[in-house]
Amino acid sequence: MTTEQAPDQMDVKAAEYALGLLTGEELAEAKRLLATDRAFSQAVTDWEMRLASMTDDLAPVAPPPAVKQALFAELFPTAERKPWWAKLWLWQGVSALSVLLLVFLLSSGLGSPPPESGPLYTAEIVSEAGDFRVVAVVDKSTNEVFLTRTAGAAPEGRILQVWAHGEGEPATSVGLWPEGDTVRIAMPQEIAAVEGILTLGVSEEPVGGSPTGSPTGRVFGTVDIPGVSSRL
Amino acid sequence: MKTDGRDEIEALIAQTALGSQTAFADLYDATSGKLFAVCLRVLTERAAAEDAMQETYVKVWKNAGRYQVTGHSPMTWLITIARNTAIDRLRARHVDHDLADYSERLPAPGLSPEQAAIAHSEAKRITQCLDELDADRRAAISGAYLQGQSYQELSEQFDVPLNTMRTWLRRSLIALRECMAR
Repeated sequence: MTTEQAPDQMDVKAAEYALGLLTGEELAEAKRLLATDRAFSQAVTDWEMRLASMTDDLAPVAPPPAVKQALFAELFPTAERKPWWAKLWLWQGVSALSVLLLVFLLSSGLGSPPPESGPLYTAEIVSEAGDFRVVAVVDKSTNEVFLTRTAGAAPEGRILQVWAHGEGEPATSVGLWPEGDTVRIAMPQEIAAVEGILTLGVSEEPVGGSPTGSPTGRVFGTVDIPGVSSRL
Repeated sequence: MKTDGRDEIEALIAQTALGSQTAFADLYDATSGKLFAVCLRVLTERAAAEDAMQETYVKVWKNAGRYQVTGHSPMTWLITIARNTAIDRLRARHVDHDLADYSERLPAPGLSPEQAAIAHSEAKRITQCLDELDADRRAAISGAYLQGQSYQELSEQFDVPLNTMRTWLRRSLIALRECMAR
């Protein structure tokens, strides 16, 4: 029974879950399996992929432009209306942490060469689930970014990779973060040149980094640093 | 499932995960026609389909970072979100099939060979395999997937006892999977 019936039963349950046919106790059980049983989770994905092809014959229908406008207004309400300084309150939360980090960086000798003048920006990248946190300090005097992990890590056999982009620009790799709680990375020229909103993000990738130039693993989160400038 | 453009859509999802609004706009332009068709098929009313599609893309924006973890191919990931969102709205309950489930889903290490096979060669076969089933059973699977029908509703529609309906549909699913794996 375990060798013949069980796989079929599991697969049928996965299909019923994907179709939305399960209720009550059975649904709760399926959700529990989804979080704990890799084979079940895989079976659900497989069924979602099989079933999705039932829509293959549906010809695309252009939605009215108003939908896109409403969507972008909903997701990015502050993009045009609020100037960057209106987001300053965000900074208070990280400022205490960043001061501590700065003290740490200076005292640990990471900032040892006498710095040229240039602003310093701090931000925190936090995953939606809160299981991953990184504090970032962007040093415009040297165009380096310092990152410190305060929660979470790459899965075993994987590494972290840091990404960045300016507003409306494609994200590029800043560098790899193969190990350790902190890392210092020199920013590539196009990122060092960003003025205005600088977005930083962290993903997990195979050893050696993403082979595609874009993240291929989970992106833990991103943060927008407004008002970035190379002048003090 | 179209496989050309797959890498492009995958790259747009990855850039979206990094908070790129331009990539997200490109992703919308490249995929909204298909997802709108899916929402329309499920909800039939344009206004309802528009709302469902907007909600779908809000979920895509918020969950793009988890796309790789789910192990889907890019279009099936998007279609699954659109279908589930539309079905939720059809049933007017927003709890059971939410995409939030993905955050509690075990990560898949990337597209397995089996999934790649499903994505590429099996995809075209589902229509063919559905055709091999009796018309009633085909209609039942389609009713569940595209109209969100429950076992209760299906058993009433086909005028069979609830347990018979369950047995029926489960056998049909096994037959379907076997046909697609051939």
